[in-house]
Amino acid sequence: MSRPIQKVCVIGAGTMGAGIAAQVANAGVPVLLLDIVPKEGSNRNAVAEGAVAKMLKTEPAPFMSKAAAKLVETGNIEDHLEKVAECDWVIEAVIERLDIKQGLYARLEAVKREGTAVSSNTSTIPLAQLVDGRSDAFKRDFLITHFFNPPRYMRLLEIVTGPDTDAGVAAKVEQFADVAMGKTVVKAKDTPGFIANRIGTYWIQLGLNAAFDQGLSVELADAVAGKPMGAPKTGIFGLVDLVGIDLMPHLQASLTSTLPKDDPYHAIARSHPLIEKMIADGYTGRKGKGGFYRLNKDMGRRKETIDLATGEYREMIRAAGPSGKAARGDLRALVETKGPIGDYAWAVLGGTLAYAASLIPSAADDVVAIDDAMKLGYNWKAGPFEMIDRLGAAWLAQRLESEGKPVPEILKVAGDRPFYRVESGVRQYLTLNGTYDDIKRPQGVLSLADVKLAGKPLLKNASAALWDIGDGVTALEFTGKMNALDGEVMKLIVEAIPLVASKYKAMVVYTDADNFSAGANLGLAIFAVNIAAWSEIEKLVAGGQMAYKGLKYAPFPVVGAPAGMALGGGCEILLHCDAIQAHAELYMGLVECGVGLVPGWGGNGEMLDRWQQSKLMPKGPMPAVAKVFETVSTASVSKSAAQAKEMLFLRADDAITMNRDRLLFDAKQKALSLVDGYKPREAPHFRLPGESGRTALGMAADGFHKQGKATDYDMVVSDALATVLTGGDADLVDVVSEQELLKLEREAFMRLVREPRSIARVEHMLETGKPLRN
Amino acid sequence: MQVYEAPLRDMRFVIHELHQDDGFGNLEALEEFSPDLVDAVLEEAAKVAQEVLLPLNRSGDIEGCALENGVVRTPKGFKEAYDMFRDGGWCALASDPEWGGQGLPEAVNKMTEEMICSANLSFSLYPGLTHGGTTAIEAYASDELKQFYLPKMVSGEWSGTMCLTEPHCGTDLGMLRTKAVPQDDGSYKLSGAKIFISAGEHDLTPNIIHLVLARLPDAPAGVKGISLFLVPKYLPKDDGTPGPSNGVSVAAIEHKMGLKASATCQLNFDESTGWLVGKPHKGMEAMFKMMNTERVSVGVQGLGVGEAAYQSAVWYAKDRLQGRSLSGVKNPNGPADPIIVHPDVRRMLMTMRAYNEGCRALGGWVSRALDAEKHATDPAVKQNAEDFIALMTPVVKALFTDLGHESANLAVQVYGGHGYIAESGVEQYARDARIAMIYEGTNGIQALDLVGRKMPAHMGRYLRSFFHPVSSFIEANKADAQFAPMIVGLEKAFGALQLSTGTIAQKGMKDPEEAGAAATDYLRLMGLVAMAYCFAKSALIARDKLAGGSEDAGFYKAKLATAQFYFDRILPQATAAFLAIKAGKASMMALDEAAF
Repeated sequence: MSRPIQKVCVIGAGTMGAGIAAQVANAGVPVLLLDIVPKEGSNRNAVAEGAVAKMLKTEPAPFMSKAAAKLVETGNIEDHLEKVAECDWVIEAVIERLDIKQGLYARLEAVKREGTAVSSNTSTIPLAQLVDGRSDAFKRDFLITHFFNPPRYMRLLEIVTGPDTDAGVAAKVEQFADVAMGKTVVKAKDTPGFIANRIGTYWIQLGLNAAFDQGLSVELADAVAGKPMGAPKTGIFGLVDLVGIDLMPHLQASLTSTLPKDDPYHAIARSHPLIEKMIADGYTGRKGKGGFYRLNKDMGRRKETIDLATGEYREMIRAAGPSGKAARGDLRALVETKGPIGDYAWAVLGGTLAYAASLIPSAADDVVAIDDAMKLGYNWKAGPFEMIDRLGAAWLAQRLESEGKPVPEILKVAGDRPFYRVESGVRQYLTLNGTYDDIKRPQGVLSLADVKLAGKPLLKNASAALWDIGDGVTALEFTGKMNALDGEVMKLIVEAIPLVASKYKAMVVYTDADNFSAGANLGLAIFAVNIAAWSEIEKLVAGGQMAYKGLKYAPFPVVGAPAGMALGGGCEILLHCDAIQAHAELYMGLVECGVGLVPGWGGNGEMLDRWQQSKLMPKGPMPAVAKVFETVSTASVSKSAAQAKEMLFLRADDAITMNRDRLLFDAKQKALSLVDGYKPREAPHFRLPGESGRTALGMAADGFHKQGKATDYDMVVSDALATVLTGGDADLVDVVSEQELLKLEREAFMRLVREPRSIARVEHMLETGKPLRN
Repeated sequence: MQVYEAPLRDMRFVIHELHQDDGFGNLEALEEFSPDLVDAVLEEAAKVAQEVLLPLNRSGDIEGCALENGVVRTPKGFKEAYDMFRDGGWCALASDPEWGGQGLPEAVNKMTEEMICSANLSFSLYPGLTHGGTTAIEAYASDELKQFYLPKMVSGEWSGTMCLTEPHCGTDLGMLRTKAVPQDDGSYKLSGAKIFISAGEHDLTPNIIHLVLARLPDAPAGVKGISLFLVPKYLPKDDGTPGPSNGVSVAAIEHKMGLKASATCQLNFDESTGWLVGKPHKGMEAMFKMMNTERVSVGVQGLGVGEAAYQSAVWYAKDRLQGRSLSGVKNPNGPADPIIVHPDVRRMLMTMRAYNEGCRALGGWVSRALDAEKHATDPAVKQNAEDFIALMTPVVKALFTDLGHESANLAVQVYGGHGYIAESGVEQYARDARIAMIYEGTNGIQALDLVGRKMPAHMGRYLRSFFHPVSSFIEANKADAQFAPMIVGLEKAFGALQLSTGTIAQKGMKDPEEAGAAATDYLRLMGLVAMAYCFAKSALIARDKLAGGSEDAGFYKAKLATAQFYFDRILPQATAAFLAIKAGKASMMALDEAAF
C-alpha cells in the first residue's frame, strides 16, 4: 500500500464538496478545497472561500471546531490544480455532468502522483463512463465514494470500485473514510443510484403515488410511512420537502434513463401534475415558498398542508395514524390494518421490501450492505431485510405471490427462515446460496449488542448493567428509558466497584444508544417533588455524589465513552472518569440551570478543579470560578467533542473517535493503557472567594438581566449556583474540601428543587422537551 | 329518634377559621358575602332543614313514592316542602347570577347541602339533580338552550335528571344503546330505556328536563361514541309553559333498600324530541363535568347522614339508662346510668364525631378550591385549585360516603336492639346512606379514578396541591413541643402515604392490576391523612384561641379533644392501609375463578 492519507483535495465547493472537505478537516487532516474561478470579481478563490465562510455560519455546523476550519486551504482549479501533487486522495464533487467530470479527470491525471486516489462523489453516473478514455494507471487509482448530505452527520459512505481499481488504493480510501472520517462504508456495485438512493427513491415514489391514488391526506400518509415503519417521523412528504421537491424529477429522469429496461422502477416512475405545478410556482419545499407543508406567516404562522386533490393549502390536521401494535413496530399488524392505513402501508412497505430484495446480487452482494445503507443513509430504524424478518419472509413471499407479483430470488432462498440469526453468540446473515455467514466486524469495531449476544451481564437492574467486554475490561451501561439516570444506576455503580476491583482491570462507561445520557430521570424526580418526598430526593442527590466519587477514587481506571448527548448527570459521570474516549459527535454540558436547578452530582467541583488547574487561567481563585459560572449558568452544551475540549468538559489528553462503531473498542484500549501503575487522582482542595466572589458573579449576571438575556428567576438560580462555586461562606484563607463543596451543591439543589418556578421549568421540559424561560 | 340540629358552630369554624391560609385566597369576586351574611344564610338554611325537611324524613320513608297511572306521587308533604324550598330561593343558592342564581360561594353552599342531607336525604335529590343538570347545560349547551332552560331550572321551577344507566350497563357506559336520530330541524329523536333515574318522574314541578346519554347513528363504538341530549318531559311552548307530552314514560319505580321518598324511575324514551348538548360523541366529557360536581355533593350526602346519625345516637346515649359506669355511679337518682358513660359507647360516639368533623373540615377545603377554580384571577391559584379538586373529588366522594355509612351503622349499634326497630329512625340512616357509596360511580370506581387517572396525570402534578401543604405544615410545626406527638403522627401517616404513592406509581406502571388492588386502601389512606392534616390544623387554632382566652372555650376544648381522639384512635388505620397496600395483589388474585 502506498503512503497513508495525509492530505486530501476536494474539488467542487458546493454543499457536498465543502461538507466533505469540512469532515476531512474535522478528522484533523489538511484539505485543499478547489472550485472554478468565478466569472466576475477579482478574487479568483471566491467560490471556495465563500463556501468555507458560509459553512462557518451554517447550523448544524459542518465544522466541529474553529481549528478544523483552519485546516481547509482554499483555491481554484486554474491556479492551484498542481497542488494535487501534495495530496493522497482527490475527491471530485463537481456538477453531475459527464463531460465536465471527464475533462477534470484529464487535467488531474496530468498533475497527480501515481497512487493518489481519485474518487467521484457522483450519485448517478456509472464508473465505467467516468474513466472512459483515461489511462490504466488512472483507472487503478479511481473509485466512486458517494457521501450523503450533510457529510458530517450522515454516517453512510457508498464505495464503488471498477474492474481496474487497485485493491490497495480502495483499501486506503476505505480505511481513511472509516477511521478518520467516521463513515460506515458500504460496498455497492456500479449500478444506477447505488443502494440507498435506488431503494430510497423507489420508496418515495411509491409513497407519493399511493397517497395520490388512494386519496390519503399528506398528514396521514406521513403518519403511516414515518415512525410506524421505522423511518424518521417526517415520513415521505416531509422528507421530500426537506430535500427539495424539484430534486424529484431529476432523480426520476436519471434513474429512468440508466436503469435496465426490466427494472420495476419504470412501472412506478410517474409525474404528478400537482407536484409539477408546485415546482413551477416555486413551492419546492423548505428551501422554497413551502412544500407539502408550510408555515403560513399571513395566518399567524399557521401550520398548513397541501390538499393533494385540490392543490389548496389548508390548516394542518394531526392525522389519526396507526394505533396499538401497528403503531409500535409490529409491521404485520400495520400492513394488515383494515382501511386506508393498512392499504397505504402495504403499498409502500410491501413494494419497497420486494424491490430491495430484488437487488441482490445486482446492486449489492448481501443483505447486510442493503440494510446498513438504508439505516445509515435514510435513517431507517431497521433495514429492509430486518423488516422482512419481522413480517416473515415466507409471509411476504406468499402475499406477493397471491397478488400476482414476482417473488425475488432471495425471498425464495429464505423460505421460512430469517435473514438474520444468532448462532453461538454470533450474528449471522443469509446468503444467496442459502447458507448463513457470520457478520464480520472490521478490526477495531466492537458493540455492546455483540457482547450481549455472547453472554449475560455481570450485574443488572432496571436502569443499568455491567458487562464483561473481554481482556479484563467491564462496561457500565445505562439501560433505562432514554438512558436516564436514577437511584438504580447509582446502586449498580456502588455494586460494580468492588466487583471490578476484585476481578477485573478496568471499566468503561458506554452505551450503544445514539445518546449517552440526557441526565437524571426528571419524570421520576418531578413525581418525587410532587409528593414532597424531599428526603428521598436528597438521598438520590447524595447517593449520586457518592457513586460518582466512588468511580473517581476506585482502584481501577474508568474511561467514559460518550456519543451524542451527555447532559446534566450524564455529563457529570464523565467528569468523574479518569479519561474519556469520546465520539466526535458529542453534545456535552451541565444544563441543570435550564430547568431551574444546579448540578447536584459533583459537577461543580469537577469543573472548578479543571479550570483551576488549567494553564490558560490567570492566577487567583476568581477566574476559574467565573469561567465555570459562565459555562454552567448559561447551560452551555458543546456542539462536538472538539468543542467539549475547549470547554474543559474533556481534558486535553482525552481522545476522540470519529467512527461511532469504533468507540467502544477505542475506549477499551484506552482503559487498558491506563491499567499499569494506575493510581486514582488525589482529591482536590479548593481556595474559593466566598461572599465577595458571589457578589461579583451576581453583578455579572445582573448585566445579562438588565439586557433582558436573563429572567428574574435566572437570577435566583444563578445566585444558588454562585453560592456553590464561591464556596458559600468560605474565606480565601480557608481550604474548601471536595466533600464540603458537595454539601454546598446538595443544599443549593435541595433549595431550588422546592421552588415553584423550578418545578414549572422541569414540568415544561418534560411535557414539551423545551426549556421554560420563566 | 331522629334528632338534628345543624352544627353551625363547627361550620362557621371551617368557613371562617380553618382554611384561611390554604392559598386559595379571599376571593374578591365573593367579597360581598361577608361573614355576617354567610352566618345568616347558614342559620336560615338550618331552619329550613330542621323545621321543614326533617319532619318529613321518616314519614317519607314509610310512605315512599307511588306510581299511579303513569304519574309518580311523592310522599305527603313533599310538594309543599318543595314549594317552600323553591320560593325561599334555596334551589338557586349556588347558581350563577346570570341565570338567576345567587352565586353563593361553594364554601357556604356545601354546608347548606350538608344540612339538607342531614335532615332529609331523599328530598335533597330533587333539587340536587337539577343543580347537576344546570352545570352541564351551562358548560356545554348552545346559547339558545341555555336562555330557554337555565332560568327555569336554576329557580327550581323545573327540575332535572341525569339519564345514564341502562338495564345492561352501568359503570361501563360504552355499551349503552339509546339511539338519537337527527331531524331536519336540528333536533333529535331519542329512543331507549333508562333505569335508576333519580327524580326521573315526580309531582313537584310542572316539567322535568332530562339529560340523556345516547348514540348518534354514525357513532363509533364504546365511550367515544356517546352524545348528551336535553330531553324535556313536556315540550315547552313558545311562552315557556309546558306543552305536549314528549314520549317520556315511566315504566316503573324501583323498590329500593332506602331513599324511599326519592323517586327512582325506569324511563322509556319513545321518539322523544331532544337537543344536542355539547359536541357529537363528546357526551362523556359533558357528563363528567356534571358528575364531578355531583361527586363532591354525594360525598356531602354521606357526611350529612353521618351527622344526623351521630346526633340521634348522642340523644339516645344520654337518654337511655342501662348499667352503671365502670368508674362509679353517675346517675344516683336513676335506676341506671345513661349509656354514654360506657367507654365502648363513647368509642362509637367519638368515632362518629371525629368522622363528621374531619369530613366537614376536608370538605370545606375542597369547597374553597371550587370557589377558587371559578373565581381566582391568578392563573397559578386557579390551576392549583383545579388540580386539588381533580385529586380530591374521588376522595371526598368515597371517603365521606364510606364513613357516613359507618356512622349510620354505629348509630344503630348505639341504639342496640331498638336501633334495629324501624320506629327508632336510625335504621333508616343506614339504609339511606348505603346508596351514596354506589351511585355517581361506585366507591371502587372512585379509588380507580384516584390511582389510575388522578395520580399519574401530568407526572403527579395533582398530588402536589395536597402533598405540598401537608409537607410544609409538618415542617413548620415540627418544633412545636406541645403538639409534637400529633405532628409526628401526621408525619408518619403522611410518610406512609408518600411511600404508598411511590410504590403504586411504580408497580402500577408495570402491572395495572397492582394499582387496582391497592386503590381502595390507598384512597382511604389519603383520606385519613387529609383529615389528620385538618385536625392538626384545627387543634393548633383551638390551642391558640384557648390561650388567647376565647369566649368559646367549650367549642375549642371539644375540638382539641376530638382531634386528639382522631390521632389516637382513628389515624392508626393509616398503618393498616399502608400494610395492605404493601402486600400487593398476590393473595387477592391467587384463587382460580373456579375456586369461588
